[in-house]
Amino acid sequence: MAIDTKFIGKTWPEISYDVCKEKIREYAKAIKNPDPHFVDEAFAKKSKYGRIIAPPTFCVVFGGALMEPIFFDNELNLNLMMLVHGEQEFEFFEVVKDRDTITSTAKITDIVNKEKLDVLTIEALSKNQHGRNVCRGIYTFVVRK
Amino acid sequence: MADKITKGATFQAQEVVDKYRAIYYAGASGDFNPIHIDPEFGKMVGLGGVILHGLCALGFVAKSVTDWTGDPGKLKKLRCRFATPVHIEDTITVAGEVLDVSGGRAVLNLKVTRHNGDEVEKNVTAEVEV
Repeated sequence: MAIDTKFIGKTWPEISYDVCKEKIREYAKAIKNPDPHFVDEAFAKKSKYGRIIAPPTFCVVFGGALMEPIFFDNELNLNLMMLVHGEQEFEFFEVVKDRDTITSTAKITDIVNKEKLDVLTIEALSKNQHGRNVCRGIYTFVVRK
Repeated sequence: MADKITKGATFQAQEVVDKYRAIYYAGASGDFNPIHIDPEFGKMVGLGGVILHGLCALGFVAKSVTDWTGDPGKLKKLRCRFATPVHIEDTITVAGEVLDVSGGRAVLNLKVTRHNGDEVEKNVTAEVEV
């Protein structure tokens, strides 16, 4: 069944995420990126950021947490067996650092019904504890019918 | 690392998708979709085994850019279309080129292929601060 376009504009409650250097290290290891900005505390202290920072794509950790309630939303009722990640876009603003608290919100910005598939676009916006934007992610999913 | 970011500059990077990469990535990202961690499930849904998370491959692309700039904070935009699944033991090559430099930003085009020449991501672009 096609995803109803009435859900364009639907939002979900904001999610708060406390960043820590150990999680940054774990993520950096997973993407095989041992840049000292992410993993070497002594180097990071001397860098212009003054502490461990997260790789830009670390935003999928707090942004990804937003996707779960959407995927399992009873009203939206997505067929997860048929869902694939189609496109991804990130805009990075202020760098995410160890001990930041990130607050993220998600909104459906578009639903397109095609003959054999639906295209669902979700915008995730994340801000730090200073209220400044850190990342905007545009997640596009394709759900085959 | 790039000395100076100018139009026409190029760079290249490579990553091997080792046997357990999708498991590491699932743990770090929280994405435990069975298509990434369960070979039997992957076969059942016609993928021929597990496939790597598209966002992990995009993480490799981001690394190629931030290694090249030397400052992870300079990456300002990144986008792609996931074209073909990445499988375990694939070798991913990222080839970057600066298309334009203006207004304090460089626009990059990135070609992301695996060892058999397939473009695993298409329309891959990035913007970095210069």
